[in-house]
Amino acid sequence: MKLKTILLAALAATALAGAARADILIGTAGPTSNAEALFGTTWQNGMELAVRQANAAGGVQGQKLVLLREDDGGDPKQGTLIAQKFCDNKDILAVIANFNSGVTIPSSDVYNRCGLPQVTNSSNPKVTKAGYKNLFRPIANDLSQGAAPAEYALGTLKAKKAAIVHDKAAFGQGVAEVFRDTFTKGGGTVTSFSGITPTDVDFSALLTTLRTEKPDVIYFGGVMPAVGLFVKQARELGITATFFAADSAFTPDFIAAAGPAAEGAVVSFQAPPYDSSAALKTFAADYKAAFGEEPGPYSAYGFVEATIVIDAMKKAPALSRAALVDAIAKSDFDSIVGHVAFTPAGELQKPFIFLYAVKGNGFSLVK
Amino acid sequence: MGSLILQQTINALTVGSIYALIALGYTMVYGVLRLINFAHSELFTAGAFIGLGLAGALGVAGHPLGGVAVGLVTFVAVGLIGVSVEIVAYRPLRGTSRLAPMLSALGMAVVIQNAVMLIAGRRPLIYPSFLPNGVVELFGAIVTYKQITIFTVAVVLMVGLELFVNRTTLGVRIRAVAENAETASLVGINPNMAISLIFFIGPGLGAVAGILYSSFYGVASFTMGFVIGMKAFTAAILGGIGSIPGAVLGGFLLGIIETFGTAWMPVLTGGLVGTEYRDIFAFSVLVLILLFRPAGLLGEHVSEETMVYKSDF
Amino acid sequence: MTSEAHPRLNPVRGAAALLAVPALVLVIGHFLPTYPLRVLDMILLYAVLGLGLNIVVGYAGLLDLGFVAFYAIGAYSWALLASGQFDIHLPFALVLFIGAGLAGLAGILLGIPVLRLRGDYLAIVTLGFGEIIRVLMNNLDGLTNGPQGIARIDEATLFGWTLATPLDFLYLLVGLLAVAFLFVWRIQESALGTALAAVREDQDAARGCGIDTTRVKLVAFGTSAMIGGACGVIFAAMQRFVSPESFTFWESLVIVLVIVVGGLGNPFGALLGATLLILVPELLRAWADYRLLLYGMALVLVILARPRGLIARDYGPSWLMRRLGGG
Repeated sequence: MKLKTILLAALAATALAGAARADILIGTAGPTSNAEALFGTTWQNGMELAVRQANAAGGVQGQKLVLLREDDGGDPKQGTLIAQKFCDNKDILAVIANFNSGVTIPSSDVYNRCGLPQVTNSSNPKVTKAGYKNLFRPIANDLSQGAAPAEYALGTLKAKKAAIVHDKAAFGQGVAEVFRDTFTKGGGTVTSFSGITPTDVDFSALLTTLRTEKPDVIYFGGVMPAVGLFVKQARELGITATFFAADSAFTPDFIAAAGPAAEGAVVSFQAPPYDSSAALKTFAADYKAAFGEEPGPYSAYGFVEATIVIDAMKKAPALSRAALVDAIAKSDFDSIVGHVAFTPAGELQKPFIFLYAVKGNGFSLVK
Repeated sequence: MGSLILQQTINALTVGSIYALIALGYTMVYGVLRLINFAHSELFTAGAFIGLGLAGALGVAGHPLGGVAVGLVTFVAVGLIGVSVEIVAYRPLRGTSRLAPMLSALGMAVVIQNAVMLIAGRRPLIYPSFLPNGVVELFGAIVTYKQITIFTVAVVLMVGLELFVNRTTLGVRIRAVAENAETASLVGINPNMAISLIFFIGPGLGAVAGILYSSFYGVASFTMGFVIGMKAFTAAILGGIGSIPGAVLGGFLLGIIETFGTAWMPVLTGGLVGTEYRDIFAFSVLVLILLFRPAGLLGEHVSEETMVYKSDF
Repeated sequence: MTSEAHPRLNPVRGAAALLAVPALVLVIGHFLPTYPLRVLDMILLYAVLGLGLNIVVGYAGLLDLGFVAFYAIGAYSWALLASGQFDIHLPFALVLFIGAGLAGLAGILLGIPVLRLRGDYLAIVTLGFGEIIRVLMNNLDGLTNGPQGIARIDEATLFGWTLATPLDFLYLLVGLLAVAFLFVWRIQESALGTALAAVREDQDAARGCGIDTTRVKLVAFGTSAMIGGACGVIFAAMQRFVSPESFTFWESLVIVLVIVVGGLGNPFGALLGATLLILVPELLRAWADYRLLLYGMALVLVILARPRGLIARDYGPSWLMRRLGGG
């Protein structure tokens, strides 16, 4: 028992020590360990870049910004503990959290309780259902991400039959269900709707079955590296249908993992091409200069989310949590990916979603 | 229909050979120490990454003969890591309780996985294939040279191991220690030597499996070991843990259960039970087999009366 | 422990010791900032889980690697019976019993076929059971909402007292821990505890003494599962969200670690183990990327240093009472 008391005192001391700094703190929590480590890390790198650039330009009202990066491991329990840690640290004025919908939902209760503005990257429609005024989602939710490819498959590709595979995780199944509903509503037939697990690497058994269904398109609701392997193995089995994948595949890793099999695969992503505007070109170049690698699939989102927070800090009448909630709600500016303005529910007014097709070693915009 | 079944069988044998190779490591360690070596799956991952690093350093990426060289060196390297892990984390715990080494192994798994992450990075790495490219058509089914190579390498290694254990003096010592370490030491066999040998061969085979696996799927990530390790361990239990032919049988059987489960379950149940139930299916088969054959398919049946140890843990 | 029957208890000192510690924790709780308070809540929750699993692993000597299944059953009980999912809103106290009951039932149903297995095979079957439950939660979309999980679960109210803040849960958890602690300790001291110890040390001899080993194991399995289920209900009420990702195999292993690191078969061990297993990863957050690496190393070192756990089996509550009583 004595040991426990000492350790708790140490814990309290650590928490207090963090609060001694004079800088403006922004917290972020995402999975930087376990299976989604790559996504969480490159996502947070995007924010780090925005913060560094803001500091180079003189910070906010003369104060330096600091990004506090935490690892939630994609675990809801750790997510709420971090949320409380951020809440308790009075110097933290905003958080960008979390990456997984399953972590964001319980954490948002905690953030709401302490009035900390929360900008999230999780796309499940349920995330904003609680009606919290301090929660913002500057990305398209699963509804847009699943619908756009279905419309494209029906309209442009004139596809009649679609096979759908999802990874039985919140995001993958979410977008796949929207794709299915949109596709059937538009007059298409769904030949099969199959679940796998996110950690699967061998899809040969499922693909052998899918081959007999002869679909025109195959939608894969899941994330890297599974999506790359799936496409590659499908082509090896001689399946010729057009592939559709969600934003996690918008990375050079996808093309590298799938090899020539990736050619023609359609990927949805929430930003225009990196070479389409000077701002995006600069972002991609700056990212590479700062971290020595190409931006990850979610780096641009992280950058935009941090920009929203920083923009609000510049415009807010006072540097407080409450003032920032109002300022973020009033966001109205052009980010590197598109115009940012929120609905009262905290969703983007005009969610942006772009479709790309793999061409050679890159992605070219198709819609 | 015939070609479909053949195709699925080929798929199953490919996955099964990888499971079997990893399962050997679990089963050998268990046979001697009655220890679930949780670190084994991470040594599999480490093998894939060490192989990748070696291939880059030697400039032999993507070359089958280079692959043989890389495979040999990686076998030795990971084997030595395995031996050191045993000496550092398991040996001091021998004779304490059975749970302590198992959880120490769990700690080592966390350590190795995070060490791989810190050294190689979080990004899944694109893996150069050491396997030959090309396909043959066999009665309407597509067989890639890669699949043939994996199957062949796995079978050669497994036969080699079986011969080693049964036909060589070192093998006899291992079996003696597995049978009863105390009695073995009475006849002049050093149990530590035999145990070290096991911790050399098991992880070494796991490392080769890691290279084959990553070459086949074209990707290596630091988290890939956990799930495949669980499956390989299931395979080892299925076949009868402690038995080398059992691990091989279990590996292939699990490959077949998974493949045909995925392919036929939705059809047989009219879509009621979809492909997402594959893992349940595999575990249910395991539970059923254990209920009827509590020592696995080829495991030595230990009746309660002949049980030499008194307590379970 | 039990052989030294009826240690002379000084009732005043005993009661004081029993009341002082929980009271102290509550007082400390009032002075803690919310984040350490939440961490303390988690520690207490895992301590109760540890006490529950200890019955099977520590007392009966059976390894259960699927304990998280019972925890999940409890959590989903609260999520399904007190949320908008089916628009059922049962009171918390009732669901606490339902959750514990369902988990206990699952424990017994699982136990009947598998308890004749020994040692590692039992461990593997329980592991398989844990995975089956998790995959079912993930796949039965119509019932559990699948991977999306169940959100907006009701706030728990206990006889008019709304459990909302971490401090509220501290009271609840301290209460639960005290009850579970006494319960487990009484089991240990009872005829059942003696039977469990006999099963642990030598099954065949135990049977020879006329102990119905299967029945004894079944009771252990059932009670342990009930405690796991109750913890699950509280976890779901704390998070007000459940999804399958909270009930992975890793969670089962963490609970096993709690009791092995703390000290197998010792209720104090579960408390200490939970404290370390929850607190250390939080304290290691400062090391960012190296956090889990250090955690793994610490784990190995602790086990190497104290293979039988930090607190030996003999230094349990009965020993403490003897010390206090004998003075």
